[in-house]
Amino acid sequence: MKTLWLTTYTFNWSRGSVHWLAMESLPGINDLNQPLTGVGGDDEYHRLSILQGSEWNIEISSETRLTIRVISGIAEIFGTELAIGKEYNFRNYKFGVYAVEDVELEWRCPELTGETLSISPNSTAKLVYNLHFALEKMRSSSFDGPRVMIVGETNSGRTTLSRTLCSYGIKFKSYQPMYVNLDPQQAIFSPPGCVTAIPISDILDVQCSTWGQSMTSGATALHSKQPVVKNYGLERLSENKQLYLDVVEQLATSVNGRLMNDSLVRRSGLVIDIPAISELDEDNNDLEYFAKQFKVNVAVLVGISDNQKIDAIAKKLVPLVGNHIVNLPRISGSVKPEDAFKRSLQRGAIREYFYGTPDTVLSPYAVGVGFEDVTVYRPKNVLEDTQEVPTQLLPVQVNPSNLQHALVAISYADRKAAPEVIQKAPILGFALITEVNDKRNKLRILLPVPGALPNKSMILTSYRYLE
Amino acid sequence: MDKEGEIIVKDFISILEELTFNSRPIITTLTKIAEENIPYAQHFADALEARIDRCPPKQKLYALYALDSICKNAGSPYTIYFSRNLFNLYKKTYLLVDNATRTKMIHLFKTWMDSGDSLAGAPLLFERSALEKIEQFLIKASALHQKNLQSMLPTPTVPLLSREIDKLTALTTERLKNQPMDEKLKMKLVVLTQLKEELHREKLAPGALKQLQLQLRQIFAQDQQVLQDIQRQQQHEMAMLQQKQQHQQQLQNENQSVPSKNASFIPLFGDSSASSGISGLFGSSMNTVGPNLTGLDKNYQLSKIQNLYDSLQAEGLLYNPPKESIVSLYSKLGGHNHLSSGAMDYQQGVNLPPLPLLQGILSDCKAHFATVNIDILNTPNLQLSQQTIQDDNPVVGSSLIHLLYRAKPNKCNICGKRFGNSIGEKKSQADHLDWHFRINKRIKGSEMTANASGSVTGTTQKNIQSRNWYLQDSQWISFKEEESVSTTFSLSTDGTAHKVTTANLEDQTQYSSTAAADKGDQETAKFTIDESILLKKHVIVPESAVDMSFQCPICKENVTGLYDEELGEWVWKNAMEVNNKYFHATCYYEAARNNDNPLGLQLDLEKLKHLVSE
Repeated sequence: MKTLWLTTYTFNWSRGSVHWLAMESLPGINDLNQPLTGVGGDDEYHRLSILQGSEWNIEISSETRLTIRVISGIAEIFGTELAIGKEYNFRNYKFGVYAVEDVELEWRCPELTGETLSISPNSTAKLVYNLHFALEKMRSSSFDGPRVMIVGETNSGRTTLSRTLCSYGIKFKSYQPMYVNLDPQQAIFSPPGCVTAIPISDILDVQCSTWGQSMTSGATALHSKQPVVKNYGLERLSENKQLYLDVVEQLATSVNGRLMNDSLVRRSGLVIDIPAISELDEDNNDLEYFAKQFKVNVAVLVGISDNQKIDAIAKKLVPLVGNHIVNLPRISGSVKPEDAFKRSLQRGAIREYFYGTPDTVLSPYAVGVGFEDVTVYRPKNVLEDTQEVPTQLLPVQVNPSNLQHALVAISYADRKAAPEVIQKAPILGFALITEVNDKRNKLRILLPVPGALPNKSMILTSYRYLE
Repeated sequence: MDKEGEIIVKDFISILEELTFNSRPIITTLTKIAEENIPYAQHFADALEARIDRCPPKQKLYALYALDSICKNAGSPYTIYFSRNLFNLYKKTYLLVDNATRTKMIHLFKTWMDSGDSLAGAPLLFERSALEKIEQFLIKASALHQKNLQSMLPTPTVPLLSREIDKLTALTTERLKNQPMDEKLKMKLVVLTQLKEELHREKLAPGALKQLQLQLRQIFAQDQQVLQDIQRQQQHEMAMLQQKQQHQQQLQNENQSVPSKNASFIPLFGDSSASSGISGLFGSSMNTVGPNLTGLDKNYQLSKIQNLYDSLQAEGLLYNPPKESIVSLYSKLGGHNHLSSGAMDYQQGVNLPPLPLLQGILSDCKAHFATVNIDILNTPNLQLSQQTIQDDNPVVGSSLIHLLYRAKPNKCNICGKRFGNSIGEKKSQADHLDWHFRINKRIKGSEMTANASGSVTGTTQKNIQSRNWYLQDSQWISFKEEESVSTTFSLSTDGTAHKVTTANLEDQTQYSSTAAADKGDQETAKFTIDESILLKKHVIVPESAVDMSFQCPICKENVTGLYDEELGEWVWKNAMEVNNKYFHATCYYEAARNNDNPLGLQLDLEKLKHLVSE
């Protein structure tokens, strides 16, 4: 392969970062709409050095693709080390490549040329290492490992920190820390709208915003993970806080059951990633609730600058965690979740659930059923459903306006089951209603698993996906 | 010896066996045991002598250090016990070890002699007769060594000797600069000039040349020693130190290439103090020598780096490359025979492995030594608190951090996962790579069939896959991650023990409104077993089979033969034969259960159950 060197750069040794002075693209070959076979001048490998302790922060839209290949040195993404010489592909993603040691890499991406690459020293890596080894000490000194709750504002790096701690946790000893995602807006090992828990038993996929694959029926390039998934179905917590807390309790019951059963996971502990504090109640009762449900013994606050808020949180949590409460600044390289980006990640996660990734292509299965073959409920939305209803789930009429392109959760509960039973039942998986034909009373439903439509109740989520 | 004694002696021996590197803690422990258990002194002495006698040559020195430490701290009766056999032990060891270790041994011996001298009248550490015998032996040995050295000198020629005279002249000039009033030195200069003239004018006999060469070498060595002593003295003075730095800077300006190469290479050994010492020493002499004598400079530099290399090797900090290594490969390629010059020549286009690779190897070594005795449980300052997280923790930054990276030096090329060097880690790395290989083969197979756009005639085993249903809570609670991350599970059982398929789904009636919970549990258990039994069903590929494959009439998927090592036969997994037709066992079962009979096939659930229970 021919490599064209288009870039000039100088090192600024004193500051430990790289400044790009000039990056000229070749004229005339900058057309994204060219056929795939024509590798344009801009789609060539460029070389980049990142000095130890610095981080290259990258934003890649869904329109383009970035390929990174590490030549030498130790580079990691959210705590997961990159292999040397392997091509990693990224699409629609914001992330940072952190240089643990001086890194030489090659990258190519038509979109990135002509812009300034953002490389800056990572000021919080040291804190994360300190935190990790403190947790590691807890793991080695007790059968009950650290149960860490990460509390922070949006854009403070809660998930970045969680992911890094999980990745570090599996590196030295074969620990399996369990990641608990309580933020239904982010989709990790599942479509959005859920709360999940996953023992991280092997390396994560750095290319995936969903961290990797949940179980499939065939071979995956990395070991797939086995999550437990609880469907909330709505978008914002305020839409039905009661239901949300209920779902969290169900998840906690499963997680605690697993911890009782699995001494390795128990020793490795939990990393609990909760919604941004602005989504939670003012009095921090939600924090206390999470901490109690999961028997949290370490609280990590990130990026909270308001001292009053810190004191208020500490007051709630200190009785539960003692002096195991630390306050970190905003994590370097954390991703700013703008709404559009968050939507695109959610979309990507739904696609990935059914169709997999370029590395792991999945074959979902479409079935045609009659209107009478499905029973659909939806979670009550307190902002809209003002009338008094005794249950959290309300029946949904099968028609295009309700169900077209909707993501539905399939419950383990029977179609005839009462709403209370359905609400407590585990989730079998998700299905996508791709077509609702009013005239013929027919539905087309995309199932992740080949076979007939399970004879189970469905719960409508707030998410719509148009293929 | 009583039981307790046996245990103590056993302990002592097992600790002794761990003394495979120069470890102060181990030696201290051994000394303490020896000191506290004088009644077993004879046993300890025997064990230690046996250890020195039998352990690999490289480790003998450490055992000797242990002997030394015990004798110096505990004294009698150890000194008496060891004196008996000391000479033989010392001699035998000396003859087996390399030169660097010999030097160490001589140092050690000197401390034994000194311990008597320094305190006037105090007795020697060991019996005088034993020490004298060793002394005699060492004198003979070093004389022998000297002879070897002489025979190794290059054949003296006039240009060679004249170059040596030049070097000596340079050295003397340097000394004269420091001591301008020294008449002897002035004389020496004159003599040297004359000698050179003589050499060029007359033809000397080879014998005479040899003699001259030896003499020159001796003077050279002496002068060098004197010069070094002076330099060392200077280094102790602050004022001179500053001057030295200025020298160094000047040097860098004058001759950019040499120090920068020094700087980029030597710190890799983690011994920056030594490297600054070298350039300081070397720098000041270089200024005065001037550009004419670059040969001398180079020798000087090389010998300094060689010294550093030797001392590092003596400390056990360097790894001696086996035959098939990068370093020996490099020397075969015609480079110098030591590593340091190799790095310098790299820039000049010699065909060497890339520098990052070499750096990586050295960083791996460094990480190994930084973490070799690390134990997180006993490391202080790791208690979780605001203070410890916020502060710079040198232990985390310099040692612990390596645990996440280079302490496991073998990085998987496919996923970046790291593996260590222990036997267990090597085994899991091998399993891991096998797993990648198998998985990649299956993924490749799926790409091939995908490219064939719908045609299912390909004979490769396919990897058409789909997302699994999530587990029920109770299944997830008892799920073992081993099922998903094991690299040694056979492919056909990968995670299937807990798989929820549409086939067994209908029977999980725990949440149905009609069935009682108890009954549901029972049925779930029953059908899970069925599922796993079905998957184990197989048919030995009949001779008549075309392509070793058949198409399942229900799912239309092609099933190819796999070799079963236990049976020693090619088999179709998850397959069964009904009325001379082959089916996926699971498909057949599912279809039979649902009474879904699209093909007009005779699907008999009872027959299936019968087959399964065979």
